[in-house]
Amino acid sequence: MIAIKLTINGRAVEANVEPRMHLADFLREHLNLTATHLRCEQGACGACTLLIDGQPARSCIIYAVLCDGAEITTLEGLENDSVIVALRRSFSVEHGLQCGYCTPGMLVTARDIVSRLPDADAARIRIELSGNLCRCTGYVGIVRAISRVLDERRRGALGQVMRREPALGPVGARSAARQPRERSFSGD
Amino acid sequence: MAEFGVGASVVRKEDDRFLRGRGQYVGDFRIAGAREVAFVRSPVAHARLKHIHIPEQFRGSVFTAEHLTGAKPIISAPPLKGFKYSVQPVLAKEKMRYVGEMIAMCVAETRAQAEDIADAIRIDFEELPAVTDMLAACWPASPLVHEEWGDNIFIEFSENGPIEDIARTAAIKVTRSIRTARHCMFPMEGRGVIAFRDARLRNLTLITSTQFPHSVQTGLSECLGLEHGNIRVISPDVGGGFGYKGLLCPEEVALGWLAMQVDYPVRWLEDCREHLAANANCREHHYEITGYATADGKLLGIDCIGHVDAGAYSSYPISSAPEAAQIANLLPGPYVFSTYRCRSHAVATNKCPIIPYRGVARSGVCLAIETVMDAIARAAEIEPHEVRLRNMVLPEQMPFDNVVGKHFDSGDHPQCLRRAVEAIRLHDIRARQKQPEPDGRLIGVGLSFFVEQGAHGTSVLAAWGRPIVPGYEQANVRLTADGEVEIHVGTHSHGQGHETTYAQVAHEILGVPFEKIKVIQGDTLYTPYSTATWGSRSMVHGGGAVARASRLLAKRAAHIGAWLLQADAAKAHVANGKVIAGNSSVTLREVARAWYLQPQNLPAEVDTGGLEVTAGYRAERDSGTFTYATHAAVVAVDPMTGLIEILDYVVVEDGGTLVNPLIVDGQICGGTAQGIGTCLYEETPFDAQGQPLASTMLDYMLPGAPEVPDIRVLHMQTPSPYTEFGIKGLGEGGAVGPPAAIISAVNDALRPLGVEVHNLPLAPQRILAAIAASRRPNP
Repeated sequence: MIAIKLTINGRAVEANVEPRMHLADFLREHLNLTATHLRCEQGACGACTLLIDGQPARSCIIYAVLCDGAEITTLEGLENDSVIVALRRSFSVEHGLQCGYCTPGMLVTARDIVSRLPDADAARIRIELSGNLCRCTGYVGIVRAISRVLDERRRGALGQVMRREPALGPVGARSAARQPRERSFSGD
Repeated sequence: MAEFGVGASVVRKEDDRFLRGRGQYVGDFRIAGAREVAFVRSPVAHARLKHIHIPEQFRGSVFTAEHLTGAKPIISAPPLKGFKYSVQPVLAKEKMRYVGEMIAMCVAETRAQAEDIADAIRIDFEELPAVTDMLAACWPASPLVHEEWGDNIFIEFSENGPIEDIARTAAIKVTRSIRTARHCMFPMEGRGVIAFRDARLRNLTLITSTQFPHSVQTGLSECLGLEHGNIRVISPDVGGGFGYKGLLCPEEVALGWLAMQVDYPVRWLEDCREHLAANANCREHHYEITGYATADGKLLGIDCIGHVDAGAYSSYPISSAPEAAQIANLLPGPYVFSTYRCRSHAVATNKCPIIPYRGVARSGVCLAIETVMDAIARAAEIEPHEVRLRNMVLPEQMPFDNVVGKHFDSGDHPQCLRRAVEAIRLHDIRARQKQPEPDGRLIGVGLSFFVEQGAHGTSVLAAWGRPIVPGYEQANVRLTADGEVEIHVGTHSHGQGHETTYAQVAHEILGVPFEKIKVIQGDTLYTPYSTATWGSRSMVHGGGAVARASRLLAKRAAHIGAWLLQADAAKAHVANGKVIAGNSSVTLREVARAWYLQPQNLPAEVDTGGLEVTAGYRAERDSGTFTYATHAAVVAVDPMTGLIEILDYVVVEDGGTLVNPLIVDGQICGGTAQGIGTCLYEETPFDAQGQPLASTMLDYMLPGAPEVPDIRVLHMQTPSPYTEFGIKGLGEGGAVGPPAAIISAVNDALRPLGVEVHNLPLAPQRILAAIAASRRPNP
């Protein structure tokens, strides 16, 4: 067991975890944060997508112990995020979900697209979605839902959408940079 | 049309919890003290099991067939003449018959520890020659999957029209060999099971991701020797099914058995490798098909030999027979012709059992017949849609019985086809094809037309030999003491949105505010027995039952309401959530208060059943509804790389009265994406020893957003004359049309090169090989 300290959805968490436990299992089994779904556990399907230090990432192919010092945000932590609120509405109106299993990962990726690519058209949205599989919708409703929120953003209806901060280096680097601790990394 | 009634594109009730990550799937339940299960699975396709070595320290944590006393094997025994049934041990005994077959069950605190135990177990076996090809499996010298059978044929179906009579005289004869690939189903949520004993209710409880909780209950009852009343099956939110969760899986029996032996709950969640390599195979067919036609393309007859690679066992309640049965009796498709001969075979091989995937055999069947129609069009030198138009049922002929007695209930087939031809802009594509493309690619346009028999009733499924035959689908509809509506159904949504559509049906009849209507499903303790959700049946049968129960409930409420209004009960009716009699009305809420809280106000001769009705429904004719559709595709094929891009895709579909067009579009687009996967990407190849070669996501390709076009869906709505509201089943059709439409377009594109392809998936290497073969000089 290895002791880790990290921030999850804005809360400080300390835990002892097995080195072989991946982040998604840690969130689901230890913290009961079950919005993060697991399917392939091979980094291919995107169902477990969440934010590590603000960046979309697959929680099935990173060990929890490697997230020591990181800021993790799951869909539960984005409940009141303005882009997610808009996406919830548009996914429902455009029928961008059926069984709901890919949905949390899809929303995290969709939020990234809306935040990072204000001018994305449908073709670009599809390329950006290539890391998230859905087996129910045929993606048609998902692409329309994201386009709709991008339209809202371009009209200024979402208020100020934060552009994603640039990557700073390895996982946990940003919070480590803010609160120096014993840790070696080569940032930036 | 009411804002939330039948026909309205109502936004779904279930969305909010899913969009907040609060869906509750099997893996999300937390049961105190639960331990985890990992399975040891067969590393080989065919072998005699000699010995299982369990290290001393793990005895007590490992269970094998030797321990599984009292658990019967899984047997699917359809009452079909000549059917050879397979005996599928829950854990392998004596023989292993496919890679991934379960041999031992390992239990530990965590899954990782359970897998450590599984890794420590050694299996001694004597390998046998594997049966890996369905055609070779039929040769007399083939090794046998089940020695006691004497051959490898589960069952044969045949139709025996006098084809020789027309073969002699037909001006056009076209023959094609077609092979569809074995592939996986891959719902986003895999299977998962939690099993424990409930001391309070004195039952074995399974929380399992299934499309049909009651059939799992019946299957467990047979295998574990427990009465139905001692088994409770809960199927919570289900993360996609597509047929994969429409059978009893051996893991459900194994965990059910284990929970009866130990004093802690147990859990198993399928991992991706188990899914890809061991559990989910579908679609593997072969057709040798000949079409006969007149010189101007009028179809005279079809002659076909079909094979289905059904894998090692027939799953419960049934998996091996239906695909071969469907080949025999769905192959004639929508067309009018007189002479039909077909022999279809369900063949056993050393692969995991085939499972009926969305559309079951229809996707392959549609590909086979439509390939023949394209070939006839070429021979007759007419447009592919023209040959189809010449062989279609006309609207004035509806209802129509085809050559095998399929009863098409309603529709205008030619209009559907014409609308698709127009929408895909066939004329423009033909003009474009006259000029070379700047990028050197070849453009092709193709289409498929099919009928989708859905919502099959009792007689059809009894004839197909389904061991559990659906009868009267039941719904329980009740008014609560607040005048809200609760609907209990035995069907189970796994993405189709029944919580919304059933509520729309009840709202249409009772007029209770849509948000006050709640649908309860997925628990054998609280729902009427049902064969549940598969075969595009829920909206027709389940929706029909909700309608019928709601009407009976309205009658009872009207009786009480009329009494409260001091009006004539015969003149009272329910609308807009009220009982109305002449100019006066009373809300259903007040009626409910009278029944539940103020019974002193009830009429003396009140129906003592109260404000709760369970009613059964069966369509007026139970031969099924016939949704039909045209799929049309434009593709670009790169002859240098073999890559195919779909440039445009149109679906024109008539699914009868649409309860919720938004949801219908989702079903069609989702099915179409899966059909695109079947056609272009998905394949689980096996080597000569029966090893599955696509056991990771690196090897197994699923269509992602960039591969799926913006599918355009156009609707027609011809009600079925036989069902409530004229609803037809349509959940599967999306997946049926794409292989035929896309291959038609690809062959159209390859036509200048003199190349035709007929084997799925149309992977680049297959396209390139076909082009290369055509360039080789004939010997």
